[in-house]
Amino acid sequence: MTVLSEAGSALSHGGSRAIRRSPYPGWFFLPAALIYGVLFLAPTFASLYFSLTRWTLFNSTFIGLDNFAQFFREPFLVQGPVNTVLYAAVTSGLKVVLGMLLALLLTSAIMGRGYLRSVVFFPVLVSTVGVGITFTVLMHPTRGMINDTPALFGIKGPGWLVDPRLALFSVALVDVWKGVGPATVIYIAGIVAIPKDYYEAARIDGATKWQNFLYVTLPLSRPATATVIILSFIGGLRTFDLIWAMTRGGPGFASDTIASVIYKQYRAGFYGLSTAGNVVLFVLIGIWSCR
Amino acid sequence: MAGLELKSLRKSYGEVEVIKGVDLNVEHGEFVVFVGPSGCGKSTLLRMIAGLEEITGGDLFIGDKLCNDVEPRDRGIAMVFQSYALYPHMSVYDNVGFGLKLAGAPTDVRDRKVREAARILQMEHLLDRKPSQLSGGQRQRVAIGRAIVRQPEVFLFDEPLSNLDAALRVDMRMELSKLHHDTGATMIYVTHDRVEAMTTADKIVVLNAGVVQQVGSPIELYQRPANLFVAGFIGSPKMNFVELTVEKLGPDSVTVSGKDIGPTTVPADPTSLKPGDTVTPGIRPHDLTDQSSGNLVGEVSLVERLGNETNVSLRLPSGAARLAVLDGDHELRIGQSLPLAFAPDRAVIFNKSGIALHRK
Amino acid sequence: MKSRPSIFLGIIAIPVSALVFLVPFAFIILTAFKNKQQATLLDFSWPDGFHLWNNIVEVVTTRNWMLLTAFINSTILTVASVTLPVIFAAMVGFVLARRKTRWNGLIEFLILAGLMIPPAVVPTIWLLQGIGLFGKLHGPVLIEVAYGLPFSIILYRAFIATIPRELDEAAIIDGARPFDVFFRIILPLLWPVTVTNIVVQSVGVFNDFTNPLYYLPGNANATVQLTLYNFQSQFNTSYNLLFTNILLITIPPLLVFLFFNRHIVAGMTAGAVKG
Ligand SMILES: Nc1ncnc2c1ncn2[C@@H]1O[C@H](COP(=O)(O)OP(=O)(O)OP(=O)(O)O)[C@@H](O)[C@H]1O
Ligand SMILES: [Mg+2]
Repeated sequence: MTVLSEAGSALSHGGSRAIRRSPYPGWFFLPAALIYGVLFLAPTFASLYFSLTRWTLFNSTFIGLDNFAQFFREPFLVQGPVNTVLYAAVTSGLKVVLGMLLALLLTSAIMGRGYLRSVVFFPVLVSTVGVGITFTVLMHPTRGMINDTPALFGIKGPGWLVDPRLALFSVALVDVWKGVGPATVIYIAGIVAIPKDYYEAARIDGATKWQNFLYVTLPLSRPATATVIILSFIGGLRTFDLIWAMTRGGPGFASDTIASVIYKQYRAGFYGLSTAGNVVLFVLIGIWSCR
Repeated sequence: MAGLELKSLRKSYGEVEVIKGVDLNVEHGEFVVFVGPSGCGKSTLLRMIAGLEEITGGDLFIGDKLCNDVEPRDRGIAMVFQSYALYPHMSVYDNVGFGLKLAGAPTDVRDRKVREAARILQMEHLLDRKPSQLSGGQRQRVAIGRAIVRQPEVFLFDEPLSNLDAALRVDMRMELSKLHHDTGATMIYVTHDRVEAMTTADKIVVLNAGVVQQVGSPIELYQRPANLFVAGFIGSPKMNFVELTVEKLGPDSVTVSGKDIGPTTVPADPTSLKPGDTVTPGIRPHDLTDQSSGNLVGEVSLVERLGNETNVSLRLPSGAARLAVLDGDHELRIGQSLPLAFAPDRAVIFNKSGIALHRK
Repeated sequence: MKSRPSIFLGIIAIPVSALVFLVPFAFIILTAFKNKQQATLLDFSWPDGFHLWNNIVEVVTTRNWMLLTAFINSTILTVASVTLPVIFAAMVGFVLARRKTRWNGLIEFLILAGLMIPPAVVPTIWLLQGIGLFGKLHGPVLIEVAYGLPFSIILYRAFIATIPRELDEAAIIDGARPFDVFFRIILPLLWPVTVTNIVVQSVGVFNDFTNPLYYLPGNANATVQLTLYNFQSQFNTSYNLLFTNILLITIPPLLVFLFFNRHIVAGMTAGAVKG
């Protein structure tokens, strides 16, 4: 019988301890790290330098912060960042509100629920360019279907894409039309995950439907709201294809975003300036996600 | 031949030391059980033996080989997990044969061994099923089968029965004993079920907070617990402890008395004691009998009548609550006073620091 | 909470949703059936005759069968760039979920960054030119792989975290080396997420317009989205052809939607919850 055996002295084993390898080897990162590092991280870091140069792709001259100064001085360039933030705010705000409402509708007992869920979701799968072209036609100021209907009553519809004050918001509306599906799906997942107990407890306390929503559903779907905001805001900041397919930043520069400016400057051969646009966009996203 | 030797084995997670220097000898063919409260480090110690946890300090010998840095597959061990850990996408046949396949055993050898294991465990009819199509007990069999085919020198079990229902647990417990008998392999078994430990073990290792409290056969632990912790941990219901004062010292006995018990002479090693010291005798509830001459008198506060025995909770004069298990059925009133006696040589005296003072 | 389905709400919601979400599609289909004159009116009317087949033939054969080439290019791009990262991402997700080191924080930061930060296009073009992949299909394949990795890794890591670690340990005791643990135990269990991953990413890559626009200049390598963009100016007056084109390139994702609806929804929520 050993009682509280006193600590035996550790033997030394000579120098030759084999190092046991982890069952989770670090080299598993390698293939992904290589592709990601070379094709994503390296250009991203390179952009920090090239944004400070006048650049022809073959040689670059360091010009300090000139590109950025130009970016915020030229009226047609400065419109980009402003529009970008506006666009992101409008689309993500609408997606939050509409996504929440649709999710409430689609988690309630409603006739044709399966059909409704599919129909809300599937614009996501259609090519953005295709959607852009279709809505450009539908929003045609005189012949477009959207204005045809009010025209029947003698009301003149707005010039959705040709009115400089409206163009950006018209594109944003189409963005919401296309992107409200994922927001709804995220909200549905959030709402379905709320334990039924809460509603039952609330019912025992005599809560009305509205109180149920206000004190149970709304607070408990906060994580879903956070997700929708993050995804759609960042998506909004980056938007290029829809804008390009519908207005190309026009009329004039009325609906230019940073992403469309980057493309325009690239096409025009101002590579340094284009890259500076990219850096502005990183910074914007960086600031927003660290807030 | 594979015994085990653990020499001041240590394990730390960062700053926290969870195994604090364990020394242990396991003979070849022994059935050793690790018991202890939750979080005391049983699993960690077992996993260090398996090679699933890095050893922070000390030496581990399996057979005569220093195994600190040997890969699990080369340690000659097999392990059965609490959750069984069957590969969900493989049939029972492939689950059992996986190790042999990795070792590059020829197909016919593998087939023979898998079928042999299935025959031993009476699960030949299950070979084509997926784990999801098995009951808990059947999964357990497959997990054991997977261990058997490796023909290990040492089997390691981490609470293998705790996911089974009570009846099945008893069956599997007996089967494990049989397996131990048939294979003659060394087995190390972790459980927090004391009955499981008492019934299966050749040797029990009681752990608390990463320190070995006592190693011994089940009966040794029951009759001669090394300290208060082991005394309280082994045996059910729990041993009663009463604080008393030393009156008189004999050559190999101590006379104690106090508020709750009149002067009683208990066999013990008196060398470290002097009259006036406080000690804690431990008395098992089963060792108390109701006798009008008894020198322990308490007030009955709760009675549980099971027919063959009666559990009586008592309040002692000092206010402490104690439990007695009396043979046979007794009709007792709550509030009545009940005198109890105990055979002094069944009591164990613990000194102030909780160490048992057994007679030499 | 169980009550009978609200017929009243349904009666409002179904037509409204149809008007908002289905009419634009109906418009695409109707216009694709029309001839040039009728299509120019841009109205929501029944086609005068069945011109779909003629429109298809004209769209497909125009500019030397460019749409056909584009379909082939898009298919290659999609298949290659979606299958390649499956194993790479699963490997990263596996080690990331299992091994806690002080590098994990940095790695997770880089992955999140990849999900949020837009790629720096001009430097990427400069780099592709440097390694001789600019304007070739390989370049964009690798690019799409790189851009898709963060999403896949997050998806796989979350799923692998639900696979009990004891499974790895049982395999290790059975004699499995790291390679075996991954390829024989973990990878086969990842099948459901892999389907989700492939479906979500392939719809994304097939519909991607921006990256081919930058990295695949020239007609020879055009993808379907690029042809649509190019035709937009060419068919400025032939709305029937433009919408036939839209219809044709919408069919593959639509089929995916019909067959893999559940996986797409799962991918959206899984990716989102983590993101
Ligand atoms: N990876 C780890 N990091 C830090 N501490 C750990 C880790 N694994 C285990 N521990 C700690 O080590 C101690 C021993 O854990 P162990 O799992 O060995 O307990 P146990 O005796 O098996 O308990 P149980 O009966 O509940 O299974 C616990 O206090 C636990 O919190
Ligand atoms: Mg344990």
